Amino acid sequence: MNKVGIVGYYQVPPALDHNMGRYELIFQAVRGALDNVGLKHKDVTSVVSATNDYYDGRTISNCFTVEAGGGYMKDETKVEMDGAFAVHYGMLRALTGHHKLVLVWGGSMSSCYPYSSSTLLSTDPTFERPLELINDMTAGAFQMRAYMNHFNVSAEDIAQVAVKNRRNATSNELALPESQLPAATTEMILKADVLSSPVTELMYSHPCDGAACIILAPEQQALKIRDDPVWITGVGYSQEAYYLGDRDLTQSQSMKNAAQMAYKMAGVKDPKKETDVAEVFEHFAHEEMIFSEALGFCKPGEGASLSTEIGGELPINPSGGAMSGNTPCATGMIRLIEAAKQIHGDASEHQVKDVHRVVASGQIGLCAQNNILFVLERGGRK
Amino acid sequence: MSKQQAAIVSAGFCEHASKRSDVNMAEMANEAIQDCLNNANIEMDAVDAIVMGNMPAFEGANLPELWMTDWVGARDKPLIRVTTGGTTGGSVAIAGYYHVAAGLPGIETVLAVAFEQQSCGNTSVGLSSVALGEISIVNALGLPAESAMRIFGAGAAIGIASYQAINYMKRSGCTEEDLARVVVQNRRNAAKNWWTHLKMPDYTIEQVMATPYVSYPLRFGMVTPASDGACAVLFTREEIAKDTVDIPAYVNGVSSVANETGIVGYAAAGAGQLDPCEQLGAVESAKLAYSQAGISFPEKEIDYAEVYSPFPNQELMWLERLGLFKENTAHLRYRDGTTAPNGELPVNCSGGVNSTNAIGASGLERVAEAALQIMGKAENQVPKTVHTSIGHGWGGCINFVTLTVLSDQPRRK
Amino acid sequence: MTRKRIEITTGFVQADYNFWVGKYMDKFYDGLESKQVLGNRCPTCNRVFVPPRKVCGNCFKTIDLSNNWVKLKDTGTLRNFTTTRIAVSEAGKKKTSEAIPIGMVQFDGSDTSVVYPLLDVQEKDLTIGLKVQVVWNDELKGHPRDIKGFRMLKGGER
Repeated sequence: MNKVGIVGYYQVPPALDHNMGRYELIFQAVRGALDNVGLKHKDVTSVVSATNDYYDGRTISNCFTVEAGGGYMKDETKVEMDGAFAVHYGMLRALTGHHKLVLVWGGSMSSCYPYSSSTLLSTDPTFERPLELINDMTAGAFQMRAYMNHFNVSAEDIAQVAVKNRRNATSNELALPESQLPAATTEMILKADVLSSPVTELMYSHPCDGAACIILAPEQQALKIRDDPVWITGVGYSQEAYYLGDRDLTQSQSMKNAAQMAYKMAGVKDPKKETDVAEVFEHFAHEEMIFSEALGFCKPGEGASLSTEIGGELPINPSGGAMSGNTPCATGMIRLIEAAKQIHGDASEHQVKDVHRVVASGQIGLCAQNNILFVLERGGRK
Repeated sequence: MSKQQAAIVSAGFCEHASKRSDVNMAEMANEAIQDCLNNANIEMDAVDAIVMGNMPAFEGANLPELWMTDWVGARDKPLIRVTTGGTTGGSVAIAGYYHVAAGLPGIETVLAVAFEQQSCGNTSVGLSSVALGEISIVNALGLPAESAMRIFGAGAAIGIASYQAINYMKRSGCTEEDLARVVVQNRRNAAKNWWTHLKMPDYTIEQVMATPYVSYPLRFGMVTPASDGACAVLFTREEIAKDTVDIPAYVNGVSSVANETGIVGYAAAGAGQLDPCEQLGAVESAKLAYSQAGISFPEKEIDYAEVYSPFPNQELMWLERLGLFKENTAHLRYRDGTTAPNGELPVNCSGGVNSTNAIGASGLERVAEAALQIMGKAENQVPKTVHTSIGHGWGGCINFVTLTVLSDQPRRK
Repeated sequence: MTRKRIEITTGFVQADYNFWVGKYMDKFYDGLESKQVLGNRCPTCNRVFVPPRKVCGNCFKTIDLSNNWVKLKDTGTLRNFTTTRIAVSEAGKKKTSEAIPIGMVQFDGSDTSVVYPLLDVQEKDLTIGLKVQVVWNDELKGHPRDIKGFRMLKGGER
């Protein structure tokens, strides 16, 4: 069976307002990933980028990133979603045998555009958009209330996720400085400014500037580049219904579907036992709990009972997750990079012991309408 | 995960017009999908994944695939959206191919959907941000985008096309009448397809030449329309394809090689590309796709071409860059009828982008028509048997090219 | 029947964005103008949608335009709610002086919810399951804003 390996990666440190241009940011990510494994631009045969015209403030924004993103004279394309979906497309390109080295990058500068407005612009323009009521914050609030109400989960339980992620972020040198709270308490999270009740500012993954890059290669090629590529052994993704009123917001149907597909591909039967770490893209604290349930780590409504800190039974987001820096178009890709670091033992301060298999996810849409899940495993010559 | 031979088994369209005011974006895309599924007698249940695309800034709706979920049949299905400007449709086709060809377990049949409802939103604003640089700069000037567009408009699509046309005429000795001839052939072909926009069965060269210039040498009668429309194409594995249709259109080569950002880049400062007719990206794309498909002599081996040419001079240019005609001779092949439906190398029997341009969908429509000619199911079917055809796309800042090579035989292993 | 466009104006760049709503939503907005909430029923799964849809996402079947319409009462049930002081528009976001609760309301006889403001009520008085009623705008234009919001029905009402 053919498989694809992650052979290199690079994350530009996130910032609320980066003091550089978009193209510099992209170039730093792409050049960094190539240099990290000693590859040259000429080795790359295909490039997949993840940007968004609304985030970049220009139509066909990718036609200006060709040079900075390494796409010049390469077979290239763009996925206008979270970077994790671009990694998926890059993987497909490597699997067909047409491409020996696929470079995938994503990123944006949210200091340059109103992020919440871009989520309003993604609502149904024939009905919801003129009302200007639905956006990332209000949708997340509905989701949190639905989850709490249905399962009788307390706001403290949910704040606990934010406490863990913001503490984890302090040991991640690539976390957004503003996201790090070494002395976070549930009280601090609950008393923070309300975005949209019951969601407070500190339960929310604040958008920031940044970019990331992952280099993929098919099996044989990957082993030529390094002895220990991280293998993608499973991938699954799914989009659920759009209208909030059509959906059961207490759970994530799309993540369930994604997990089912990815686990089947990777041969994972008991995800809790067989997974060492999970890096999920949680837009809100409560989403991490909903995801851990959809991923089969615990029963519905019992996300709070899982011990997910570093050193716990199943560490989730040891990097601090999306809460440690949510760079639209790169966040899911950064989860994959963090997963690869855990497997390589390169996660320094937030390293989990003996990591063989990690799941990592990306998402897009209000209340995570479309989720993608990867199963990554430790590689090496057999 | 094992490599698969991908094939196209069906294509569908909705009716294209300058204003499809009777439907919203989602309903319009749904029409094309229903047509595509009906043509293959397939239910949505048989579709394992969806690839979608449009140019979201044209309609003014971010991430439209999300609210369109139900209309495109994506509920609880894997979906990704790709978008690359004018080549969006071509990129959607290529993504459809890769989804099938990669051979992921459970992903066997993939629906590719591309659409554009240009009468929604504000397309000139959409395009101006390509031509004029950062929207924020326009904003900093304190100008409404509409006025800025008028002042700097020479850099927009028609501006690029007229530079290309002047350049091409100078090189090849092609005349304005030759350009008009291309237009006439396209519009007459469009009249033979139910879904196209500008159907002009009796259009003549004289009529084209009697219209005023928009931007020399391009006349009003030569210009591509702005259309609302959608297209859907069904990709599947070889063994399923054989069970579904008599002649599947096998996808044997795909490429989209990017050139440097064109002459109208950031603050109108290009990266040094002086000749907009050079189109190195197209030359490299052709090399790559033909080598995947095992084509060594494109001018002999390719029977049919659908090229993306909003403006007539581009049709001539692309046919040369893609290796179908010798340099500076394409206009002569229009004079001698080679490219007519009954000619040796029929081109754009759908009427091409010059007759119908729902931008995001146009690239996919080229692939769809190229496939239908192989399957023998095109509305304007050519009399000769088509064994190998190409569907081409163009976009970005004149720097994107997509190419799909289709055949009635699977790729030689 | 008149064809309507919903106009959304003034983004960050000065540009008008218009969207065709299609025949189904056109009929829905015609209904609002006469204070009638219209939904349509999927003949396959019997779900009732407000606002109406051409395609049922569950069945992937087209719901015929000429029938399957359902006239609904102006009452419903509160399914979810939130309160925010951050008003997000197409141009950006800003703090509002007052916190306005918004809710997901399921019209009686429909199977989905719509999001609208909850009027003359404070968050502390809200619970999921409350009965609510449409408050119409003074001026009806065939626009989503024809429904100003919903008011809470007291125990004895209706």
